[in-house]
Amino acid sequence: MTPRIIVANLGVRLKSFYRERSAMFFTFAFPVILVLVFGTIFTKPEHLNFDLPVQDNSGSAASARLLEALAAGDAFTLVTVPVGVDATQYAKDHKLNLLLVIPKDFEALQRQRLVGPHRGEPVPVTYVHDPSSTAVETKIQLLDAVVAAANQKATGSPPSLTLVAESILSKRYRFIEFFVPGIIAMAIMTSCLSNALNMNAELRQKGILRKLATTPITRADWLASSIVYQLILSVISTVAILLVSYFVFDVRLHIGFWLPLIIVVEVIAFVGIGMLLTPFAKEAESASAVANAFLFPMMFLSGTFFPVEMMPAFLQAFAKLLPLYYVNEALRAAMIFVDDAATLQAVAVIAAFAAVVFVAGTFKTRWDEST
Amino acid sequence: MTDSGPAIVVDKLCKRYGGFRAVDDISFSVAPGEVFAFLGPNGAGKSTTAEVIETIRVPTSGTVTVLGMDVRKRKAQVVRRIGVLPQNFSSFDRITVRESLQFYARVFGCKADIDALMDLTNLRDKSAARFNTLSGGLKQRLGIAIALVNDPEIVFLDEPTTGLDPHARHQVWDVLKGLKSRGKTVFLTTHYMEEAELLADTVAIISRGRIVAIDSPAKLTEDHADQMRLTLKSIDAAAERVIRNMGFAPVPLDDGDLCVTVKTPDDVRRILNEIGKSGLAPGGVDVRKPNLEEVFLKLTTGPPSVGAEERDR
Repeated sequence: MTPRIIVANLGVRLKSFYRERSAMFFTFAFPVILVLVFGTIFTKPEHLNFDLPVQDNSGSAASARLLEALAAGDAFTLVTVPVGVDATQYAKDHKLNLLLVIPKDFEALQRQRLVGPHRGEPVPVTYVHDPSSTAVETKIQLLDAVVAAANQKATGSPPSLTLVAESILSKRYRFIEFFVPGIIAMAIMTSCLSNALNMNAELRQKGILRKLATTPITRADWLASSIVYQLILSVISTVAILLVSYFVFDVRLHIGFWLPLIIVVEVIAFVGIGMLLTPFAKEAESASAVANAFLFPMMFLSGTFFPVEMMPAFLQAFAKLLPLYYVNEALRAAMIFVDDAATLQAVAVIAAFAAVVFVAGTFKTRWDEST
Repeated sequence: MTDSGPAIVVDKLCKRYGGFRAVDDISFSVAPGEVFAFLGPNGAGKSTTAEVIETIRVPTSGTVTVLGMDVRKRKAQVVRRIGVLPQNFSSFDRITVRESLQFYARVFGCKADIDALMDLTNLRDKSAARFNTLSGGLKQRLGIAIALVNDPEIVFLDEPTTGLDPHARHQVWDVLKGLKSRGKTVFLTTHYMEEAELLADTVAIISRGRIVAIDSPAKLTEDHADQMRLTLKSIDAAAERVIRNMGFAPVPLDDGDLCVTVKTPDDVRRILNEIGKSGLAPGGVDVRKPNLEEVFLKLTTGPPSVGAEERDR
């Protein structure tokens, strides 16, 4: 390895990258956009508010009380549906996935419940819903909660059981705090793997590799400059993600010595994987196909966007074979839970993985014939 | 140069890809300071041979020695003393001419005079142009400048003018003549006869992985194209019989021309005399001297066995 050659190589790569403005923009902007989009969608469920169309066929004091209860929480904004129309047809026509129907004899039924032969029978309030809609379940749950509260109020007895939440963490962490380390890990992986494959395919296709093979550049020089180059991009990308997360979502993550160390180990591991995959990606088209074939399963199965505990057991077992899983584990252990032992354990797994990849890579790939 | 020994020695070189023999047992040597042209049709094995000598490819068998060093054992030392313009040369798209030269100079760790290299290849006014904005001829000239960055003793030029227009080709040739006058050993592969004839001291013709002829361009044309072609334009058909009676084999062409293959200028004179005596006058006379192209076509076409026989020089 010759530092002079590594520096020269790095200079050419950084200049090329800097001069390709659109590629540079998307490399850094894509993870930031993900943080902004997912952060906005998932961080503030307390402000959930849905429109609730209601057809009040009763128009009585009793139904007014129910509507008042529904509107009292922040959850629903009531929308009046005209009396006399067919509720199901109306929902279809207006593409509503949930419509509440208060029966005409609501007040009478409620009175019967208290006295007379039908005493004790519950009063039915119908909702028309579209079970294929994903959002409708959340609405129904909220509706159930409001109805349960109304029932309780009507019977006047306090609940016999109540749940008290107690976190194992020193402080509560929000979805965005889970999400940001995942995005950091994903951005670094994507950049290392696709850059390594695309650059190799491009240089091979253009014959630049053939020219380089007739110079004193060795494979080790090449790899070392790839790693330093990717480290520089990874640090810039991570800083951008963290800055946006702090200023927009006010995340509270622990930034210590582990973060740079994890970045270094991750870069080495994924540049190594990229090197191993180059023989399968000799052209630009196959390079992005090969990169995607590795990136997408890794992204979705390693707990980048959601905890692996949400997946079926066999997929959880599979996740534990993926290097990105350990990067996610390490970053979350270091940045959320501040757990040095868990971080060290995950980092050790990635480091071992990187070492295996490199040993395999240096045995397998030849610098010359492979061009 | 280390000593007066040959710059390149190729001994019984073979390169196979599976069952295909790209290079099949070839041997030759290149003297210091000479321009050696490897001439052959596409796929004949020119570039494969060049790439083995350039250390890019590993031979299946045989040895290649460059400046006294075995290319397999001493690759690191060999690459420092050679300069290579690979086939279809390309460089980093968004890097300028000057930056490309600086990059390769740093890689070789040498203090190259970048300005002098740009002057030699006539690239001075393009020094700030990015590679992807250069025309084909300019790209090739940059490739040659890069090949010279480490002041190599041997320069390899693999099809330096393929795909260039005639103007750009002549500009590249001017640069190559400059190299020759500076005493560099040049190993040139090409499928252009004109290029080999114009620049080379020695020409090796390769066909189907084997060398079928190797000599100076003049000697090759003399040995292999030992015939001249006399064409008598728009002449009376009676001339055919006159010439046949002299012992030649005239071939009438479709447009009324008559073509005769002869050995010497004296034959031409005798035929023209005889025709004149018969009172026949051709509309025009054309005598074509043999050239390398005819040698090339003669040696590189025909059944494989012909090539194999002629190989045993």
